[in-house]
Amino acid sequence: MKRSIQRITYYMGMGGMFLLIPMMLLTTFDVIARAFWHKPIMGTVELSSYMLVLFVFAGLAYTQQVKGHVRVTFLVVRLGERARYTLEIVTNLFCIFIVGILVWQGWVVGAEETTVSDMLRIPQRPFRLLLPLAAFLLGAEFLFNFLESLENLRKSK
Amino acid sequence: MNPIVVGVIGTLLVFLLLFLGMPIAFALMFVGFVGLSYLSSVEAALPVVARTFYEVAAHYPYTVIPLFIVMGGFAGSAGLTRELYNTFDKWFRRLPGGLGVATIAACAGFAAVSGSSVATAATMATVALPEMRRFGYAPRLATGCIAAGGTLGFLIPPSIGFVVYGMLTEQSVGKLLIAGMIPGLILAAAYIAIVIVKVRLHPELAPASPEPVAWRERIRALSGIWETLLIFIVVMGGIYVGIFTPTEAGAVGATLLFVTALMKGRLSWTTLIDALKEAMRVSVMVLTLVAGANVFSYFLALTTIPVQVATWVAEMELSRYLILAIIVVIYLFLGCFLDAISMMVLTLPVIFPVILNLGFDPIWFGVIAVLMMEAGLITPPMGLNIFTVAGVAKETPVEEIFRGAAPFLLSIFVIVILITIYPQLALFLPGKMLR
Repeated sequence: MKRSIQRITYYMGMGGMFLLIPMMLLTTFDVIARAFWHKPIMGTVELSSYMLVLFVFAGLAYTQQVKGHVRVTFLVVRLGERARYTLEIVTNLFCIFIVGILVWQGWVVGAEETTVSDMLRIPQRPFRLLLPLAAFLLGAEFLFNFLESLENLRKSK
Repeated sequence: MNPIVVGVIGTLLVFLLLFLGMPIAFALMFVGFVGLSYLSSVEAALPVVARTFYEVAAHYPYTVIPLFIVMGGFAGSAGLTRELYNTFDKWFRRLPGGLGVATIAACAGFAAVSGSSVATAATMATVALPEMRRFGYAPRLATGCIAAGGTLGFLIPPSIGFVVYGMLTEQSVGKLLIAGMIPGLILAAAYIAIVIVKVRLHPELAPASPEPVAWRERIRALSGIWETLLIFIVVMGGIYVGIFTPTEAGAVGATLLFVTALMKGRLSWTTLIDALKEAMRVSVMVLTLVAGANVFSYFLALTTIPVQVATWVAEMELSRYLILAIIVVIYLFLGCFLDAISMMVLTLPVIFPVILNLGFDPIWFGVIAVLMMEAGLITPPMGLNIFTVAGVAKETPVEEIFRGAAPFLLSIFVIVILITIYPQLALFLPGKMLR
């Protein structure tokens, strides 16, 4: 279970990061087209925004998987093992709480969304609904960290 | 309860949670959410976090963040680091501490095509450290040069620091980036001066002077920097004359570097994956922080603290330079524990209104803030660049690297004072921009 969820997170991140290449090429061609033929590529801005959404949400849980979300550790590492694990349990619980709200409200807000983009009329809803999925995987990462700390605390007795 | 008291408790809670090791972005979201629920209602607070996160992730100007970061990755893959170092080595090696001087010059060159200073320090460490070791440089000097030189990536555009500052304070990112250029060059020169003076005073730090280089060879070596120079001129020149926005400049720069790496045949599958992974990890981290900061800012705005603090400070009738000095000291202190972007998102909602109220120029303060963030990269116990260099220079103790980087801190302060006395150093170029 844990392994397959983490694998989904990993592959989502790996897939999402390649969006950077079309993102940079699209904008570059847009700049070139505008400079030489005075004809910008239609919808560059909105396509880039949507790609950024995909990129960020695809990488949200992956970034936690590689412990990329910054935290201050210089105090925590000076504590004893047991205090450290207890703190990890508490802070992970807070994270799970707020990420839980992201999943729930991401779904509620996303399902209501009916806006389409200005030029290409691409609906926003599917992109909004990626947030609850991304947040769910992020929550799973926090849950795994939480269980790990719990296990470590039990062992350190 | 008085909203101000709620705000103070909320702020203290954020700092408590972050010192307990909670990821900063989620600590901000958590406290922001709880505070909003308390001051308005749970129903009103519930959708805020999800809405804010989506809005940040879909904000077109933010595409510049992954693009600036991936520029550094591609520049590293294209081998520009080594070429820059080789060129500057040929020119500067006869100076006292010449390899250190070359390292700093190469860092400045790399910073001109890379948005992240950690990337600058990491790539430079793998190139310059073995050379300095070969010529018997003291590890303290060698590692200190790289850690300090790496901070230049934050000031010399393209720079993520200016992007985030511009977004949080609604200032022109283009102007901020251009404003960093002259201070960045002065800081690089000051770093170089420090190396030379240090080695003059203690010649044992950099004993061997490598064999001289003929002028013909020096001229030929210049071919190693033309790509970097060209890309920098296209990217920053395009922003300066208004052909494209900073976001578009990021895309053009990344594309140019991508093509350069491809043409040199240096872009392997592994280096491509590494560059993209790094870009994703760092930009998702930064944007999640920005989302958290926005949630927290809504809460803080409800408590009226930013306005109150700004008027309160203005009414104190102290010299505005004294208040600036206090802010600089606060940044220096926070920089010891926090990374640059976290520091900005945590402090700017309160400090920026104060700065505006005191009549300081917002672009000018952007340069000061970014300089102080740079200092935070090399101050103990949490200097990010120090640990990056330590990751490469495994046999040098971390304390030794901190000591090596300490003299360079001094020049950061000198530049802060210099720019405060002569704000034109930062404001001259952006003032001349066409739009």
